Amino acid sequence: MTLFTIDEVRKTFKNGEVEEEILKGINLSLKEGEITALVGASGSGKSTLLTIAAGLQPATYGQVLFEEQNLMTMSTEQVRKLRASKFGFVFQFAHLVPFLTVEEQLLLMLEVADSSLKKHEQKHEVNRLLQLVGMAHRMTAYPSSLSGGEKQRVAIARAIIHQPKVLFADEPTASLDSQRSKEIMLLLRELTKTLNITTLMVTHDEEMLAYADRIIKMSDGVVLPSAMY
Amino acid sequence: MNLAWKEIKKNKVRFIILGSIIFLVSFLTFIISGLANGLSQDNAALIKDLPKGQFYMADDADGTFNLSRIDNDLQQKVMTKEKDAVAFSIQMGFLNDRDDKQQSVAFVTSTESTLFKNVHQGEVLLDSSLQDKGIQVGDTLTNNQYSGEFIVKGFVEQKKYSHAPVAYISEEAYHEMYRVNNKQLIYVPNKEPKEFKGLQAYSNKEFLNTIPSYSAEQLSLNMIIWFLVVISGMLFAIFFYMMNVQKIGLYGILKAIGLKTSKLFKMIWTQMAIITVISLFVSVSLSQLFNLVAPKGMPFTLTIATTTQLSIVFLIIGFIGATLSGIQIKKIEPLQAIQQGEA
Ligand SMILES: Nc1ncnc2c1ncn2[C@@H]1O[C@H](COP(=O)(O)OP(=O)(O)OP(=O)(O)O)[C@@H](O)[C@H]1O
Ligand SMILES: [Mg+2]
Repeated sequence: MTLFTIDEVRKTFKNGEVEEEILKGINLSLKEGEITALVGASGSGKSTLLTIAAGLQPATYGQVLFEEQNLMTMSTEQVRKLRASKFGFVFQFAHLVPFLTVEEQLLLMLEVADSSLKKHEQKHEVNRLLQLVGMAHRMTAYPSSLSGGEKQRVAIARAIIHQPKVLFADEPTASLDSQRSKEIMLLLRELTKTLNITTLMVTHDEEMLAYADRIIKMSDGVVLPSAMY
Repeated sequence: MNLAWKEIKKNKVRFIILGSIIFLVSFLTFIISGLANGLSQDNAALIKDLPKGQFYMADDADGTFNLSRIDNDLQQKVMTKEKDAVAFSIQMGFLNDRDDKQQSVAFVTSTESTLFKNVHQGEVLLDSSLQDKGIQVGDTLTNNQYSGEFIVKGFVEQKKYSHAPVAYISEEAYHEMYRVNNKQLIYVPNKEPKEFKGLQAYSNKEFLNTIPSYSAEQLSLNMIIWFLVVISGMLFAIFFYMMNVQKIGLYGILKAIGLKTSKLFKMIWTQMAIITVISLFVSVSLSQLFNLVAPKGMPFTLTIATTTQLSIVFLIIGFIGATLSGIQIKKIEPLQAIQQGEA
């Protein structure tokens, strides 16, 4: 089922006097329970597309439809609420909150997402998620004492603890070695399937494409027809 | 989740440094204001300690009470109308002790009143600072213009005028020494100003400001205090700003995952409040302690009222500083943070 539609999205940036069109009319639809991989040369506009889809910046033109609502016409507060409750994010760096323990990172996310769970249910849920990503034993650790891969696993747990509908991942494995990368990808795939999440993932790494259901290739601001790769 | 407190707990050193700065500037401000107050006490405690009321001097004195001579009939008239009124005079002069050592004093005489001290002819009541200079009860003191002698009857606390200890003498002695039969001033406690022909009314504050040395001294000291307050305000703001700039990445991430900007504001306000209140508590306690142990010769008076007032000003400044740097946070785009490196 289609959950997310990107429709004729364009984005121009002003570099001083010159206007540069980075996205030149992108059409894309994402399906539930699928990982869509976004690949392409550096500078082709992958991250820009992902952040527009995630409501982190507006498009210059076009629509981003989620559950039949257009993100582009929503107020900032509506978009924030959507991000907090329906979207999850994983980036190249884990971007954990340095002064919170692993457990608190996830509890904060539940709070931000306005979770209806009771205190002890939240704790239980956090424990379950951390078990899922294999980090339950580091529950009380601070990010500074975790390895890159461990941080990323916590970040993934944080991205999905509030049961988002869509998961946005921008090069989630770029800071990890290939062994760790595979583990993370397996984890993402498993979560996408079991929780029926819609995942949009940018990656540079050819190896990671094996875990995707669909591969979209971008070049210079447009999506290449599938025949070309 | 109490993010504010969690961060303070994790980054103790950073917040202790900020707290120390707030402590140092507020402590310095308290000490300076204690000195200013002490000097003003030293300069005019005699007047300052009187309750709010009205001072009347002859209107032809033009605001210089030294030149004021209130006609005896007029004085009588005012005093029958206002039964709490007291007429008094102040003159700077010297007292010589047994060893002919001169002590500079402010001679004060008044009609009968509980607000001033009245003594019998040939007696003198001195400010206690003279006791520290070796003068004792029962000593006899002299003055060049006075034919008799003064016997020290006792001491009073904290009665100073123009940085000199006050010496209360009888009306007769005063009249002989300064060859006047009139008083310079009439003071009516707890009253609104009234019209008396030939007299000009001054409130306590207005009257203090007619004393030239007093107003000049207070002006410069108050200037110093307010400069300190302004400078510390800027220091607060700058430090909070720098701290927040370092955390732009963090704020961006929190915004990206959907934390409300208002929650971020609450976080920095709470932190500001915690740090400021603790630092002020320490500096208030220490300055009050200093108030108790300050050496006797040092004019230092720091009232709880002044400390509270300044503390409130510091809290407001802190709040403004935190809010200003908070506005910076409002502008942070979540994207910026994500595109920056490791957090
Ligand atoms: N805020 C911005 N202002 C101006 N130009 C921008 C901005 N953000 C992105 N760009 C430009 O848009 C282009 C695409 O950037 P984007 O980050 O989407 O590329 P990418 O495909 O993710 O590349 P990479 O694989 O290196 O991450 C780049 O040329 C970049 O310089
Ligand atoms: Mg990118």
